[in-house]
Amino acid sequence: MKATFPHMGNVYLAVKALLDGLGIDYVIPPKNNKTALDIGSLHSPEEICLPYKIMIGNYVQAVEQGADTIIFVGSCGPCRLGEYCELQINLMKKLGYNLNFIVIDYPKDIGIKELFKRINEISGVSNKKAHEKLNALLNAIQVINLIDKIEEMAHMYAGYERNKGECKSLLNKCKNEAMQSKTPIEMIKILKNYQQKLKYISIDINKNPITIAIIGEIYTVIEPYSNFYIEEKLMDYGISSRRGLSPSWWVRNAALSPLKINSYKIRKNAKKYLSIPIGGHAVECIGEAVTASNEGFDGAIQIFPMGCMPEIVSKSILPTISKDLDFPVMSLVVDDMTGEAGYITRIEAFIDLLERRREDVLSRC
Amino acid sequence: MFYLGVDVGSVSTDLVLLDNNMKVAEKIYLRTKGNPIKAIQDGFKLLKDKFDGSDIAAAGTTGSGRMIASSIIGADAVKNEITAHATAALEIDQDVRTIIEIGGQDSKIIVLNNGIVSDFAMNTVCAAGTGSFLDRQAERLDIPIEKFGDYALKARTSVRIAGRCAVFAESDMIHKQQLGYNQSEIIRGLCDALVRNYLNNIAKGKTIQPKVLFQGGVAANIGMKKAFENALGFEIYVPEHFNMMGAIGAAIIAKKTSEKVGKTNFRGFELANNNIMSRSFECEGCSNKCEVVKIHENNSIIGYFGDRCGKWGSNSTKSANDLLA
Repeated sequence: MKATFPHMGNVYLAVKALLDGLGIDYVIPPKNNKTALDIGSLHSPEEICLPYKIMIGNYVQAVEQGADTIIFVGSCGPCRLGEYCELQINLMKKLGYNLNFIVIDYPKDIGIKELFKRINEISGVSNKKAHEKLNALLNAIQVINLIDKIEEMAHMYAGYERNKGECKSLLNKCKNEAMQSKTPIEMIKILKNYQQKLKYISIDINKNPITIAIIGEIYTVIEPYSNFYIEEKLMDYGISSRRGLSPSWWVRNAALSPLKINSYKIRKNAKKYLSIPIGGHAVECIGEAVTASNEGFDGAIQIFPMGCMPEIVSKSILPTISKDLDFPVMSLVVDDMTGEAGYITRIEAFIDLLERRREDVLSRC
Repeated sequence: MFYLGVDVGSVSTDLVLLDNNMKVAEKIYLRTKGNPIKAIQDGFKLLKDKFDGSDIAAAGTTGSGRMIASSIIGADAVKNEITAHATAALEIDQDVRTIIEIGGQDSKIIVLNNGIVSDFAMNTVCAAGTGSFLDRQAERLDIPIEKFGDYALKARTSVRIAGRCAVFAESDMIHKQQLGYNQSEIIRGLCDALVRNYLNNIAKGKTIQPKVLFQGGVAANIGMKKAFENALGFEIYVPEHFNMMGAIGAAIIAKKTSEKVGKTNFRGFELANNNIMSRSFECEGCSNKCEVVKIHENNSIIGYFGDRCGKWGSNSTKSANDLLA
């Protein structure tokens, strides 16, 4: 078995650590790029959302490198992601690839037995002992927590750094080095090392940078290629940003959801505007907009793929929040047809707007 | 001293020179024709005879081609169109609350509150209602685009045209022509449809309050102005230099920036005769495969942009500084 999986932000580092630990052969598809999207757009239905197209590109590129098994997460939630696995299995078959799909899903949807059966399909290939397998899983969780933490720090410190571009270059170096690591232990060591480095970069706490919260659909906010590297752009502009949704958040959220103690703050803050889950991460989007406003952020940018149902609903709720809390929110829709020029214009204009607002408030008091 | 503003848009390239009182001393309107470098050079050729490079105290660029324009002319400020338009409108009138801007390929709404931008929106995927579409319809009906508005005013009634999509609008227009409606009624119907489309798409969820400024190339079309007034129920204003507002805004912003820095990066008008070329290539450094644009001037390289990592000396950090200016 040669496993592969679609990209989503830094998930590849965790999966690499996991499969390295289990001793399973794998292929990491090339990082998302134009070729992947072109392949995906060619084979996918025109109207399907952007993540689907990029994932198809990932699969094809990985298969070219010898992969034969695709590991993917499904969900029976009321959003198109729930259909992805079935559609993609069909599509890849039609394209003439003979692949084995292993779809990991919530136990409440497929039953705990089925979940274990599927997990066993992966871990059964490994000839490691049970405790080593458990160890590999724990290491992978540690990796995803670490890299998410590092990213969060880099995005936040970018507004305060004294040496322009330091956060961005450290973050990129960190990802590259982690990718080169041979064992999970080595990767964790590298990540911890960079976490320390980031902790001690020279920052100017007297700076008062513009702060922006990134909210919206989980794939497009996490996967930088799909959102035209918005977080890197904000780092270039010297803006501190925060994104609530991350792979480690997802893991925590999924683990805690049976007990209904997941993301309490988000749900509490969203309640006034959107009290029931409507699929996708709409409640999170609304809750985070309110949270960001309460915590003194200057504004929020919502990103979602064209045709994303849950986010369309939240997009129409956001202006009310914006008015109630006097909190600017801009929505950006991404698609394989999105032109980068107009996209950047909007981001720049939004930053100008936030700056002018701040100057105006200062001049009035 | 003069302040130069350059707005490189999808359809037109506008150059404007402002004097010390921020009044327009010279304006040039050129078609970009897909070649921004040549358009800028043509503009500079015209300016070169009347003005000297040393008269220019600051230069700013805006529009979708602002990056390339900036590296060619040596701009002090590179600004997005939205901020540029708002700056220019506020220079004319401090009381403006809403700006309707319809250009060659995009249309925008900018909402201002107490003289600062409080909200804005741009068209996303559809070009119905923008200058290019009107241009095409004028051509198809064999009416000069300048006369388009006058035809609309002549009509007593308006024919309802489906305005949601440029393709459907066109086929609907053809259909109405075949039914025998007269030309001016169809044109008026088209203006109404485009206004409806604008208000339902771009201005959706935004409150349009007077005073409203209507700018961008389409503001020349008196039929569109009238249609907006009918739909909104109050008068809207078209500023004198409606099609130059982006460039004027860029010049004003450049003035502020260079006053702060105390010098200008402007490279002079002589580059009009230089041999400037741009080449793009796909960087093979990593799997990001950025499309990098390289600009040559007389066999020497004057700038790169489009790379994310900074390997090619992307001037993203430079624009970031401008942004905070």
